[in-house]
Amino acid sequence: MAVVRLPAILAREAGGRNAFETAAPTLRAALSELPVADLVFDPRGELRPLVNVFVDGEDARTKLDAPLGAGAEVRVVAAVAGG
Amino acid sequence: MARAVLVGTKKGLFFVRDGAVEGPELPGWSVNHAVRDPRSGTIYAATNHVVFGNTVHRSADDGSTWERAEPIELDGLELGETWHVEPGRADEPERLYLGAVPGVLLRSDDGGRTWRSVRGLTDHPTRERWQPGFGGMCCHSIQLDPDDDARMYVAISAAGTFRTDDGGETWAPMNRNVAADFHPEVYPEVGQCVHKLLLHPARPERLWQQNHCGVYRSDDRGETWDRLDGNGLPSAFGFPIALHPDDPDVAYVVPEDGDRRLTSDGRLGVYRTTDGGASWQLHADGLPERAWSVVLREGMAWDEQGPVLGTQAGSVWSLEQGRWHELARDLPPILSVELA
Repeated sequence: MAVVRLPAILAREAGGRNAFETAAPTLRAALSELPVADLVFDPRGELRPLVNVFVDGEDARTKLDAPLGAGAEVRVVAAVAGG
Repeated sequence: MARAVLVGTKKGLFFVRDGAVEGPELPGWSVNHAVRDPRSGTIYAATNHVVFGNTVHRSADDGSTWERAEPIELDGLELGETWHVEPGRADEPERLYLGAVPGVLLRSDDGGRTWRSVRGLTDHPTRERWQPGFGGMCCHSIQLDPDDDARMYVAISAAGTFRTDDGGETWAPMNRNVAADFHPEVYPEVGQCVHKLLLHPARPERLWQQNHCGVYRSDDRGETWDRLDGNGLPSAFGFPIALHPDDPDVAYVVPEDGDRRLTSDGRLGVYRTTDGGASWQLHADGLPERAWSVVLREGMAWDEQGPVLGTQAGSVWSLEQGRWHELARDLPPILSVELA
């Protein structure tokens, strides 16, 4: 199983959970399963512009449809923006 | 229950009651407006996040836990910031209205879980002539006529005021005599920059608006407007307006220097009329005499105990026995206040 880890603001929106195990075949599928998928993706189904995603420490914003390996760690991170 | 001030800020929702500040709830979310539904006690908040988008949260347990609305989708348009939640009528307990960018009114018939746009306004034939203001093309004011279940009003910046007499199927512009100094026509059919629109509940044919270009009152359901800012106000420009809940002739505004978006005369100047807007007097005892922090469009509210305002500098002020008292200070920039 891979694991998806959420930042605090998304964890609060997910009922207090900051980690979700997944057997989804791709990163996009794993993120789409989340109860906060509507906050990660925009209404067109694209990753919101200021949401960053890392898989095992590597930037994966442009690799959403790549296979997600068992044991992978996915981190959803808000970009450094705003004030 | 003690009087509570719901304070929406750039960094979450606070409660001010019994001299204490509680919160923030919804930390990280920018709360353009929050209101307690008098029918159910549920609190609704128009919530926006620069990274995670725009939505509505609701709490049925006084802010202890929150639920987010289902994703809000607009056919052919992209939802921007959510601005104002207005509970529906007493005999429609699950109905609420939401104003948002881009100049859209949404309706919920399930207590705020799902929202869909009111097509008569979304598809309005004048929409191509509407323009966004600094806050986006926001629908920020929603007023229900208490005497007529089919009549309601919205105001959009910068599209103007619109009225429906058929429950939202069709909407007529209500902008006659209202100036748009930034527009080539000055008095166009639509395109006015309303900053806040209110209906007086005791005299529902009477509407007030603080506009980008003046303070106005209508006594005929928006058909015609009289401009009121010529006698005692230091500026025609401002954002909030607050109405006495019982006396239709009493209103408060907070003028700003329109060019610089600073307080007029460098003070937190609240001005009151007691004669329907024919004259205005400074009513600022207790407020700081040197201040440049303004009050935004949702930054004033009024109940039987009197008016309350919140500033961009994070202070909440309450008028008690003719003098303003600071209920809270050093909060994040305040976007809205409501009384519950």
